[in-house]
Amino acid sequence: MNSQEIFAIVTRHAQEVVPGLENHQFEPTQSLKDLGANSIDRSEIVMMTLDSLSLNIPLVETVKATNIGELVNLLHAKL
Amino acid sequence: MPNSESSAILVTGVGVTSAIGCGKAGFIDALLKGHGNFSVMKRPGRQSGDTRFLGAEIPSFEVPDIVPRTLVRTASLSGQVALTTLHEAWNDARLGEVDPTRVGLVVGGSNIQQRELTLAHETYRGRLPFLRPTYGLSFMDSDVCGMCTEVFGIRGLAYTLGGASASGQLAVIHAIQAVDSGQVDVCIALGALMDLSYWECQGFRALGAMGSDVFANEPERACRPFDMRRDGFIFGECSGAVVVERASTASRRATEPYARVAGWAVQMDANRNPNPSFDGEVSVLLKALAKADLAPAAIDYINPHGTGSSLGDTTELKAIEHCGLKHAYINATKSLVGHGLSAAGAVEMVATLLQMRARRLHPMRNLDEPMDETFNWARQPVDHAIQRAVKMSLGFSGINTAVCVERL
Repeated sequence: MNSQEIFAIVTRHAQEVVPGLENHQFEPTQSLKDLGANSIDRSEIVMMTLDSLSLNIPLVETVKATNIGELVNLLHAKL
Repeated sequence: MPNSESSAILVTGVGVTSAIGCGKAGFIDALLKGHGNFSVMKRPGRQSGDTRFLGAEIPSFEVPDIVPRTLVRTASLSGQVALTTLHEAWNDARLGEVDPTRVGLVVGGSNIQQRELTLAHETYRGRLPFLRPTYGLSFMDSDVCGMCTEVFGIRGLAYTLGGASASGQLAVIHAIQAVDSGQVDVCIALGALMDLSYWECQGFRALGAMGSDVFANEPERACRPFDMRRDGFIFGECSGAVVVERASTASRRATEPYARVAGWAVQMDANRNPNPSFDGEVSVLLKALAKADLAPAAIDYINPHGTGSSLGDTTELKAIEHCGLKHAYINATKSLVGHGLSAAGAVEMVATLLQMRARRLHPMRNLDEPMDETFNWARQPVDHAIQRAVKMSLGFSGINTAVCVERL
């Protein structure tokens, strides 16, 4: 799976969790926090993404990512 | 001694969600028309294999816009229904005008989200690492308190309490006591929707508490409190909310109080088992009447616990007769709504107050052959302006509760 596909999965789950992002133009430089996700929302989005990717890594390993692009790169490297 | 006028404790708001009607207007209309909504239950997690558990499920309800959509996504059915029911009671009593630090919430019910937990366990069995983080919040019943206090800005107090099938009325009693003691000025009692999974249904059936063998193929006939052919309670999804406060605070807002709370009592049987106790029921009735300073003859309506259980209904009628209350009109709200378990006491208090306001009593379903014809059954809708009512609510593990309310 390439980074673009992972990006699409992250943003799809962000739309499920955070209201009002249905028509949002996501950019890799945007952070989930700035898009309105609180810490619980963020952990939900990341867990849903891990589930979609069948990627079993501790959530704590994803906290270093400060924006969506970094999260995608981090996950891509673990696949 | 009756309360002086300004210190009287009043009910100033109600909310209700049920399988026969959502909101007080729809609910009283359905009650007075004798509607029921019983079938083989269909909600995911209610049946397993070839089970055909009967019950009444809420067809649809609208979570109010005030609830953020992100909260709705992770809220259990019990939580969503609580928010919806509380919203109605909140507006009914105009609680937006009250200092939020003086408002409390008591949620009646424990282990209320069993079906949601069963579904989560089934979804993540063998995939434990992917369990949603919100499970860590939502598995606790107190999550309902968290959601309700956040959405409505409640800062006085909030907790859940358990009293089995008396939880709803026990919450009403705690709300009354919170106001009576001055802990808060206004307290909302919410009987939470008990969301059974097939595990609890099977447990209740195995205990012999839940019907129905006799009417397994006729769900609409299965729920029949006080009828000779009853064979256990039939579950019904519901939730009710009641707002209590003193007349002195209610008069500061444009409230339209439903009734005065006259008396209340709780009595335990020192018994772990599900069986009812004649002595416990007599005691709780007499204590509530004494606190209300009312003679039994003054009571003109009884809303009984009346589940349709074989021994339970027999014991309750004996207790009512023994207490000199046989003259009062009586109907069983559960014959229409089903047994809401944790919610029942609160929903039936709402039913009592709405009948009082409507000056009309709802009929009973399936009372084809009453256990005792000499009681004053409201078998058909009847015009009756309730003056003083007593509501009984009982539960497993030997809990008995009674509350008296009086027309203003």
